[in-house]
Amino acid sequence: MKLLVPVKRVVDYNVKVRVKSDGTGVETANVKMSMNPFDEIAVEEAVRLKEKGVVSEIIAVSAGPTAAQEQIRTALAMGADRGILVEHDGVLEPIAVAKILKALADKEQPQLIILGKQAIDDDMSATGQMLAALLGWGQGTFASKVEIADGFATVTREVDGGLETVKLALPAIVTTDLRLNEPRYASLPNIMKARKKPIETVKPADLGVDVTPRLTVLKVEEPAKRSAGVKVGSVAELVDKLRNEAKVI
Amino acid sequence: MSTIALSDEDRMLQELVAKFVQNELMPLEPAILKREAEGGKYGLSEAEEAPLLAKCQELGLWGLDVPEEFGGANLNPVARMLVEEEVSRTIVPFEFPPDSPNLHMLMAAANEDQRERYLKPYAEGRMKSAIAISEPGAGGDPAGMLTRARKDGDDWVINGRKIWVSRVPYCDFIILMARTGEGKREEGMTAFIVDKGTPGFIIEREIPMIGGRRTYELVFDEMRLKDSQILGTLGRGYAPMQLRLNVRRLQMGARCVGISARAVEMMCEQAKSRVTFGVPLADRQAIQWWIADAAVKIHACRLMVMSAARTMEDGGDVKNEASMIKVFATEMATEIVDRAMQTFGAMGMTKELPLQLFAQQVRLMRIYEGPTEVHRMAIAKRVLRHGKV
Ligand SMILES: Cc1cc2nc3c(=O)[nH]c(=O)nc-3n(C[C@H](O)[C@H](O)[C@H](O)COP(=O)(O)OP(=O)(O)OC[C@H]3O[C@@H](n4cnc5c(N)ncnc54)[C@H](O)[C@@H]3O)c2cc1C
Ligand SMILES: Cc1cc2nc3c(=O)[nH]c(=O)nc-3n(C[C@H](O)[C@H](O)[C@H](O)COP(=O)(O)OP(=O)(O)OC[C@H]3O[C@@H](n4cnc5c(N)ncnc54)[C@H](O)[C@@H]3O)c2cc1C
Repeated sequence: MKLLVPVKRVVDYNVKVRVKSDGTGVETANVKMSMNPFDEIAVEEAVRLKEKGVVSEIIAVSAGPTAAQEQIRTALAMGADRGILVEHDGVLEPIAVAKILKALADKEQPQLIILGKQAIDDDMSATGQMLAALLGWGQGTFASKVEIADGFATVTREVDGGLETVKLALPAIVTTDLRLNEPRYASLPNIMKARKKPIETVKPADLGVDVTPRLTVLKVEEPAKRSAGVKVGSVAELVDKLRNEAKVI
Repeated sequence: MSTIALSDEDRMLQELVAKFVQNELMPLEPAILKREAEGGKYGLSEAEEAPLLAKCQELGLWGLDVPEEFGGANLNPVARMLVEEEVSRTIVPFEFPPDSPNLHMLMAAANEDQRERYLKPYAEGRMKSAIAISEPGAGGDPAGMLTRARKDGDDWVINGRKIWVSRVPYCDFIILMARTGEGKREEGMTAFIVDKGTPGFIIEREIPMIGGRRTYELVFDEMRLKDSQILGTLGRGYAPMQLRLNVRRLQMGARCVGISARAVEMMCEQAKSRVTFGVPLADRQAIQWWIADAAVKIHACRLMVMSAARTMEDGGDVKNEASMIKVFATEMATEIVDRAMQTFGAMGMTKELPLQLFAQQVRLMRIYEGPTEVHRMAIAKRVLRHGKV
């Protein structure tokens, strides 16, 4: 069976992001960009499923600027078989990405789409869910364990207060949580092999998708600076302050 | 950060090595520093090294500059420089296996038989080797060497003394430079391959050096070798020896960039958090200028290294650039590491930070592979000859 794994180009998690002086967004010029860490987990899970023989082909998809090829190439070096770049400069809201992925799913007919639970740039946590709705497929979000057997995906989800297990008929959508796996390093021989794997480039219009933004960003600003804390001398003092000053216990 | 446009493969390789350094090597740094500070050996224990080698095997970080015919990755020079820069960010003494500084000389000069006996096992990491050029009376000017090989029937009989030779205890063979002809300078110099244990090959003494290094003095006393041990052409050993050094000098440039970049990172962290006289050090112009100067020089040095690596990739001669890099990179790193140490105050003087080991290593680099002044002399000679740069 085929598996589709979307990968997003985002500011690297090590970079301290800065808000643009005009308040329209964060600075991305001359900043290290990487694959969204949750997507790395998704690629890893896909590759493991392929290694187990459950999946026969992994297609890595990125919607974004030309440079997003880099993230597709990284997915190919980790073990994906081919790539599709849906080239678009400018804002892509979750609904636009979900529509792009729906169009690709209609075309490629994957049995499983594994996405990150959210992207670390805007933390929307929406694309996977929207895609499930558009396709009318079942979804197992925030997965910490995924098992595929007999046409079903059994997904353990991390929810408030514990773990929930859902069983989904394939085709289905899974979104990854941090504890699902630890992504591998792309090895040097696989990096070299990735060079020969194909990446197809299409435009959203080729897929019949209108990506015009629906939302208006009013302002982006830094979180308020935290004021300095207080050092307490003992546990007793801490308890006293929590009880009588902060009144939280 | 890279200064030039990289191919996808080179970029991913750089990320792979950066992750390896961050996740596998950096965590060992405190233990290595502690051991060295307490007078122990500066190096990895077997228990520390074994998992690293296994990881390298798994990731294909093996034989990076080894030709494909010997199972290596045969990386282009640019990629090799990226690797060198990343791995130099830590004082953990780890080289991607095999540890093979003489590879290029052997590749250029070994005959069929020597390729099988020495080059192949060396390239595959099954053999180690050293190179003996320097003598008590000939270092920066190796053409002044006195060690001599004379023909006696079928044999070459070698007498002489070599010094400052690295890697001796664990090598299987050495490449020995000796005079075979009448010439007094570069001419008549021949490279020989000498197996460890050859009668007359004596390890005279071990010489401890700064930076946790050890070198060795060697004596050759009526040592007999067959013609088959001559590496390359009789009387023409000087040119392949130089070839070996060019690669190493570019690598040294990349290493100085890695060390300097780490020093700047440490400096920034300290400068932002350390407050004196009510103000963070980062707000002081004195410190800001150190950081600015460091950034300027690191950028320049990266460009020098990458430009030379590209030229090398295209088959060009980089002798002159290699000299410039050797001078610029080592002096840059000397200054930047020293300023980082200064920024840390007393903390910078401790053996708890890697800076002091970096400083010693960089100090050594101004001597080996040709001392700074000798490179300056060579650069000036070329410029004077042409009358322009
Ligand atoms: C850590 C380390 C490892 C080494 N490993 C090896 C090895 O494996 N094999 C090997 O053969 N050698 C090795 N060497 C030796 C190294 O190559 C020599 O030390 C180096 O070539 C300098 O030679 P020297 O020490 O004799 O100094 P000299 O040549 O005596 O130079 C002394 C000083 O005079 C300066 N000087 C020399 N000539 C001039 C000039 N014309 N104008 C101005 N100044 C000049 C030099 O720059 C230097 O500062 C190693 C050295 C070190 C420090
Ligand atoms: C070998 C040794 C022995 C010592 N023995 C003793 C001892 O016996 N007793 C004792 O009490 N202390 C001792 N010290 C500590 C020593 O006095 C301090 O290290 C020194 O005063 C510097 O303080 P610091 O290390 O906190 O550096 P910091 O004050 O943090 O300074 C760090 C760097 O910032 C620079 N800097 C600081 N302020 C400014 C500024 N306003 N503008 C520009 N640059 C600035 C400094 O010049 C320095 O380069 C010893 C230190 C050493 C190295």
